[in-house]
Amino acid sequence: METNSINKRLAGLLSDGFLAVYFLFALFPILWMVLVSLKSGEELFTTQFIFHPTLENYRAIFFGDTRVGAGVVAKQEFPQYFLNSLIASTGAVILSLLVGVPAAYALARFNFKGKEDLAFTFLSFRFAPEMVVIIPLSVIYRQLGLYDTYFGIIWVYQLVTLPLLIWVLRSYFEDISPDIEQAAMIDGYPWWRIFWNILLPLVRPGLAAAALLAFVFAWNNFIFPLVLGGSHVQTVTVASLGYISSAQGFFNRMAAASVISSIPQIVLALSIQRYLIRGLSFGAVKG
Amino acid sequence: MKFTSHFRGLKGLSLLLTLSMLLAACGAPASTPAADSGATGDTTAAAGGESSGEFDWGMCQGESLNLLLNQHPYQQALVSELPAFEELTGMTVSYDVFPEQNYFDKVTIDLQAGNSGTYDAFMTGAYMIWQYAPAGWMEPLEGYISDPAKTNPDYNFEDILPDLRNSEMWNLEPGMQNLGQGSQYALPWGWEANAYMYRKDIFDANSLTPPTSLDELVEVSKQLKEINPDMAGIVVRGSLNWATIHPGFMTMYASNGCVDYDENMVPQMNSACAVEVTEKWIDMVRSAGPEAWTTYTWYQAGSDFGAGKAASMFDADILGYFQNQPDTAAAEVLGNVAWAPGPLGPDGELKTNIWIWSLAMNAGSQKKDCTWLFMQWATGEEFLTKGAVEYSMVNPVRQAIWENEDFQAKMAEQTDYLETFNTISSNNMQIQFTPQPLFFETTTEWAQALQDIYAGQDAQERLDKLVDSLTEQLQDAGITQ
Repeated sequence: METNSINKRLAGLLSDGFLAVYFLFALFPILWMVLVSLKSGEELFTTQFIFHPTLENYRAIFFGDTRVGAGVVAKQEFPQYFLNSLIASTGAVILSLLVGVPAAYALARFNFKGKEDLAFTFLSFRFAPEMVVIIPLSVIYRQLGLYDTYFGIIWVYQLVTLPLLIWVLRSYFEDISPDIEQAAMIDGYPWWRIFWNILLPLVRPGLAAAALLAFVFAWNNFIFPLVLGGSHVQTVTVASLGYISSAQGFFNRMAAASVISSIPQIVLALSIQRYLIRGLSFGAVKG
Repeated sequence: MKFTSHFRGLKGLSLLLTLSMLLAACGAPASTPAADSGATGDTTAAAGGESSGEFDWGMCQGESLNLLLNQHPYQQALVSELPAFEELTGMTVSYDVFPEQNYFDKVTIDLQAGNSGTYDAFMTGAYMIWQYAPAGWMEPLEGYISDPAKTNPDYNFEDILPDLRNSEMWNLEPGMQNLGQGSQYALPWGWEANAYMYRKDIFDANSLTPPTSLDELVEVSKQLKEINPDMAGIVVRGSLNWATIHPGFMTMYASNGCVDYDENMVPQMNSACAVEVTEKWIDMVRSAGPEAWTTYTWYQAGSDFGAGKAASMFDADILGYFQNQPDTAAAEVLGNVAWAPGPLGPDGELKTNIWIWSLAMNAGSQKKDCTWLFMQWATGEEFLTKGAVEYSMVNPVRQAIWENEDFQAKMAEQTDYLETFNTISSNNMQIQFTPQPLFFETTTEWAQALQDIYAGQDAQERLDKLVDSLTEQLQDAGITQ
């Protein structure tokens, strides 16, 4: 009896220990990024954990660099780049939700000619390399006046966010029995209330997971804002590279910018965590 | 019944939304015309007005220009001084700045848009002319330079160092003899000579002198490694990129009398000369270079040197200058960097390869005369002097600035910098590569060969293979028969 309890405790300790090690392993890149963001230029290339931490890098990315001299990259537009990313990614997710949720529902519930072809077409946006479509897209964007506009970036992000949203939500809608909708109809609910009051709450975990992933993918996108955007809509992914100039690599400021840039994703992930875990695993074993 | 009709309504709406998104998301690309690569903009009609016979800075008053710039100290000087240009001309100038890692992707894609391109002028390197000019993306500039109605009488184009000017002239024919012929496709704006930079304190303490031959370069690098095993004896680029070839390696290659192609465009990278230089270079890198040499770009090489992790560097002279600055250099490095022209070839020749940051005009621009106003201002003596003295526009492209006392006083703080320039410029300083449209592909493959030899492959065999591959590519592209 006692041996069993010791074994159990030992197993628990081992598993906790393993989890702690894995936790450190998984979070180490983030920890390293934070440490580098607190380093001065002089200590940047040392690999020691003991150094003189400074908030100078954060000050510099928000308020610019007041130093003058060779190769100093003044960078005070970071708040604007951050805002650009926020507008583009949030806008893209909202637009995807507005059109993707009904689209997913239609693909899940109705039978119509070419349904699977249509669904596959949406999916194909994800596996077509961005570089393949970027040149014709850039020509069209310039001709339509969409180059370097928020709407242009939000629109092109649909290639990233929409397929994800549609395909994740489609499986959720398919899991909901049509009987529920029919029961509500019998109770006199109009179709839009059935959709809003019954179906949407049921797919909320999937909605949260898909929206978060869509946001992350949009936020991390590099090639679309690089090619289809100019200075007005430059996002943090493109702008962060600017901390490495020909004169000097400000890896510490790049790290500070990355720390700030990862905050929205971390906050979002934490705030919808309870949906997220269920959302990601839900439907995974669906036959 | 009610259920069915509601259901039908919902179905209709959902289908409509699905369809509209499908059209929105994929309709545009499907109806895309192919990118217009034959940018043939109007070369005479300036939106700002007709040539009146006399030059006038105000000829484009009220017009606006759009520039595409690379994140660079030169660009920072320009951006800071743009208000002066706007005041002088009454024009407005907007610009987009992109990081260098992806800058040329951005340029290439925009130039492909032809007349619908966004930018009137852009920063470019001289090597890019070999890719952009044959495609018709770059406006030839000689007509503007020679037109007194379009060019400020004080412009003095001839003051720009002839080696730089000629390196940006090309008649679109592959072959070294064609460089310096034909049209002027870009204006030199700032440039880099590949030189030998070293830690004077370490050299002095160990009674070393800068190497004067390739053998000495290898030997000194090995000695430096022995003196400080924690430091690289020498740091040079080594990543899988054309830029690995062009700094120190190409300078040594050319100085030793090797050529990349003969007059018939037959690759010569497996000649006895080329194999010897390559073997010695790789021996140097293997025994005295940085550990992760095959990942080394401009940034790693410069960072290592500035951080005191390398005793010498064979790269652009301005890279050493940027690393020898407060807040960049480690304490032991600051003020201890010195320059030397680099080892000579067996015949005492010094053939320094150069990189030229330049300004070029988009052939698809709709405001060419106005763009030319900007280009001549940005490459004029007044702005470039300010850039060199007050900002970091080194190296200046104009002879007058090298002779400027303020500039000389500024650069005198950098040990032997000016002397190195004088030696390099009085020797054979030019682009040592043969101009040809496949430059980037073929030179990247050359870098791959260096990496393979570094990894242990036989130099002669690997370079033979390289030459076979390049010969085939040049034939496929119709460059050789």
